[in-house]
Amino acid sequence: MNLIKRHLKTWLLWELVMGLALTGRYLFKKKITVQYPEERTPLSPRFRGLHALRRYENGEERCIACKLCEVACPALAITIESEERADGSRRTTRYDIDMTKCIFCGFCVEACPVDAIVETQEFEYASETREALYYNKDMLLEVGKRYEPQIARNLASDARYQ
Amino acid sequence: MTELFINDEEVTVPAGTSILEACRSNGVEVPYFCYHPELSVAANCRMCLVEVEGWPKPAASCCTPVAEGMKVVTETEGLEKDRAMMMEYLLINHPLDCPVCDQGGACKLQDYAVDHGMGKGRYIEAKRIPTDKDLGPFVNTCMTRCIHCTRCVRFADEVAGTGDMGVLNRGDHMLIEGVVEDALESELSGNLSDICPVGALLDKPSHDVSRPWEMTRHKSTCTQCPQGCDIEIESRDDEVMRVRPAQDGVEPWICDRGRFVYDAFRSDNRLLQPKVRQGNALKETTWDDAIAKSVELLKDKRVGIVFSPDWSLEGLTAIRLLHDVAFEDCKVAFELHRRDTRPFAFEEGLSMSTKAIEKADQVVVLGSDLRQRLPILMQRLRKRINGGKPVTRIGSMYYRTNTIMAADALIRPRDWAAVIASAMVQLTELGKLAAGMDAWLENVEARHDAGKLLADALISDSCALLVGEEIRSHQDAAALIHGLDLLMRAAGHAEEGKDGRNLLPEGMNAQLLSPMFGDLRTSAGDLFDAASKGELDTLLLIGSDPVGDGLFSKQAKAALEKVDLVQVSSISGDMGQFANVQLPASAYSEVEGTFVNMEGRVRIADNPLRSLGEERPMWKVMMRLTQALGFEVPAVSLAEIREKILELSPVLTELADAWSGKDVQAMFIPSARNRKATTLPVTASMQGLDIVSRYSMYREGAWARASDLLSEAGRIHAMDDVIVHPDTLANLNLEQGKLVVVAGSEEAEYEVGLRTDVSPGVIFVSKRGTAGDLSNVTTAELKGGQ
Repeated sequence: MNLIKRHLKTWLLWELVMGLALTGRYLFKKKITVQYPEERTPLSPRFRGLHALRRYENGEERCIACKLCEVACPALAITIESEERADGSRRTTRYDIDMTKCIFCGFCVEACPVDAIVETQEFEYASETREALYYNKDMLLEVGKRYEPQIARNLASDARYQ
Repeated sequence: MTELFINDEEVTVPAGTSILEACRSNGVEVPYFCYHPELSVAANCRMCLVEVEGWPKPAASCCTPVAEGMKVVTETEGLEKDRAMMMEYLLINHPLDCPVCDQGGACKLQDYAVDHGMGKGRYIEAKRIPTDKDLGPFVNTCMTRCIHCTRCVRFADEVAGTGDMGVLNRGDHMLIEGVVEDALESELSGNLSDICPVGALLDKPSHDVSRPWEMTRHKSTCTQCPQGCDIEIESRDDEVMRVRPAQDGVEPWICDRGRFVYDAFRSDNRLLQPKVRQGNALKETTWDDAIAKSVELLKDKRVGIVFSPDWSLEGLTAIRLLHDVAFEDCKVAFELHRRDTRPFAFEEGLSMSTKAIEKADQVVVLGSDLRQRLPILMQRLRKRINGGKPVTRIGSMYYRTNTIMAADALIRPRDWAAVIASAMVQLTELGKLAAGMDAWLENVEARHDAGKLLADALISDSCALLVGEEIRSHQDAAALIHGLDLLMRAAGHAEEGKDGRNLLPEGMNAQLLSPMFGDLRTSAGDLFDAASKGELDTLLLIGSDPVGDGLFSKQAKAALEKVDLVQVSSISGDMGQFANVQLPASAYSEVEGTFVNMEGRVRIADNPLRSLGEERPMWKVMMRLTQALGFEVPAVSLAEIREKILELSPVLTELADAWSGKDVQAMFIPSARNRKATTLPVTASMQGLDIVSRYSMYREGAWARASDLLSEAGRIHAMDDVIVHPDTLANLNLEQGKLVVVAGSEEAEYEVGLRTDVSPGVIFVSKRGTAGDLSNVTTAELKGGQ
């Protein structure tokens, strides 16, 4: 019995018909194409996009130059130099991320003890030159300033799982 | 020897060893904070608890000596609980700031918190906040991190001898305090950051700059003084971040000079590109251009060569080869601190290891500021004195030692012959004689009481005689050293195996200078005089800075204004203003090479840092010059240079084994002896006051002057430029203040400071400012200023 069934399916191209039927169903179904960039899909609060350096509410930068992100980075994309600031606190004099090297694994964010380096949901920072992808401290702080509400919201929504 | 069981394994250790040391030497790990192998036992951290079978309570292993058949257990459930509790106590007041702490990543507290801690603190009350101390330019403090192990206090008391760290109060109110005015007094203060097991005391210059895991370690040899300590240079990429004593080095400490000179590696004074003078400025150029210009200045000219001894053996050999091939008849000077160029009965270098000096029955220091010149040797002597063994000292100043000498005498430099003579008389009376003593004694009429101290020390079974710069730089040094040689022979301290004759050298590789360059030795002063008289056209200056260092700065200045200068160096320094051409040579951290310290200990550097600029090893620069001057190049590779070394100095045959990878830990090169150097003293009647040139570890040497850190320390620890004893002024009916020093036909006014620890009748001059001009003057008069 099984043998007959199998032969019928083979010679009547049953699988092909089934496949084409699925294609046909989608052909007449309502379309769900997102009209990017006019429309956007929702992003997870854990989305790992462009990096940002954050500041505290009083304007003090969060980063304390512990260099844990630098040592955690598997792509060696982060370069930090630090010194003692006049007020005695440890601060970076240089914080560079080479976005061409970065693999967006998020280890730097995991390593940061003060939530200074975070990854935003921003992913539209393509550029026409390589140079524009070498982010320095000012650029990263600028990103942080721009996306702070979003970053704070995402961190808050994810806080219970941290 | 005592046999005991550690974790059921039988081990044998010397009797009297502590359990902790027995565990450490047998590879059993016991956690500890306050124990340090070089310091006394405090037993106050209670971290090293172990259980001993049959004992009711756990024992602190650092202060419990081993006993026969003892059964020690280092890992039990009970101990783990104890350790967890200890960690909890220690962490009560310790801040949770590991990410900003420089110690983080190389911290005992951090490691043990992971290994033995509870993982979670239960303490929710306020932490106490002791204030930070200002301990000067080298040590940074963060006292909230302190766990009161008192290692720093014991270091200051026992090793540094300054006692400027201490403990106040008890229990929860306990505080570590520094009794400090501007900076810690000790010349070893940099070691504090190494011995602190947490991040309370940190290296100030590299504070907040780097993290331990970024460092690459390069084993090297410090060439800042003849001690030649084993160091580890920690670098991030090619940038030197820190210098520390090597873990398996001979000495556990290094001095501040050797440690903080790293600042000079990247200073503006560093010479990294060949430069050629154009008008008033030196312009960077290519090697080809600079070599061509040097050839112009050197080829077929009357050339004088002055070099410093701190280059590697390969570099020094290349200098000799260049001389032999291209400048066979020219004058060579390499000792900027030697007035007497006659051969010494025993040349520069030690005949004993520093360990042997520490153990000798008697040690006599003759005219040396050991703490400044050889801080690590001084530390050995301090350790010896702490152990109850005597050190006798004779010199023109009670040089600060941070310890107490068994016998101490003040003399003027002109009294040295009298001191030696009266020691000879005393030895003769005891029937200890040496051939030649009579002839020597005949030439000296005067006698000096200090000779008794010398004779008393000499009649012991073993005696280490440390002859310092006051004798070495003496105008009649060869005679004095011959006299000392006779004394040592008479007392039986000159035989093979018991040799106690040590002439403290001025720079590295001292043992090799006399065998390699002894036949060429010219007085640096004569060379400069010849140059300023117009007998020389060009000076080839290799590494040395005769204006900043040595006795002949005034003559050097006069000479350099006359002649052309080709400078080969790692540091541009003050010589830059005179140089016509500057050729950059690699620093000691950047070469593969062989170094020999004052004991004759051989060290081979084989893991150099990368060059920062276009500088080349000394031997390459020398060989390139040889080639450019149109001569056949004697050696074209490091291996060929090393072959030449063996040809030139047959005493060094052992080095061949060392280069082929054999262990050189136990290899010592003996210092040179001149049995035939029987120089007799000249009796000269001397008028006026004696002048002694004072040494400062923070400013002597081009490297130290190029370092901002050492310069700052130099300013803090500076004494007056010209110092005399109050009695000297009283005898001359003078008041303190601006006084005129009359040296020969020249007069100059100086602010004269008073100190009671200098010998009456002596003027101490520093090399700073215009007082440096007096260095080569032996006697002068003082008179009232305007």
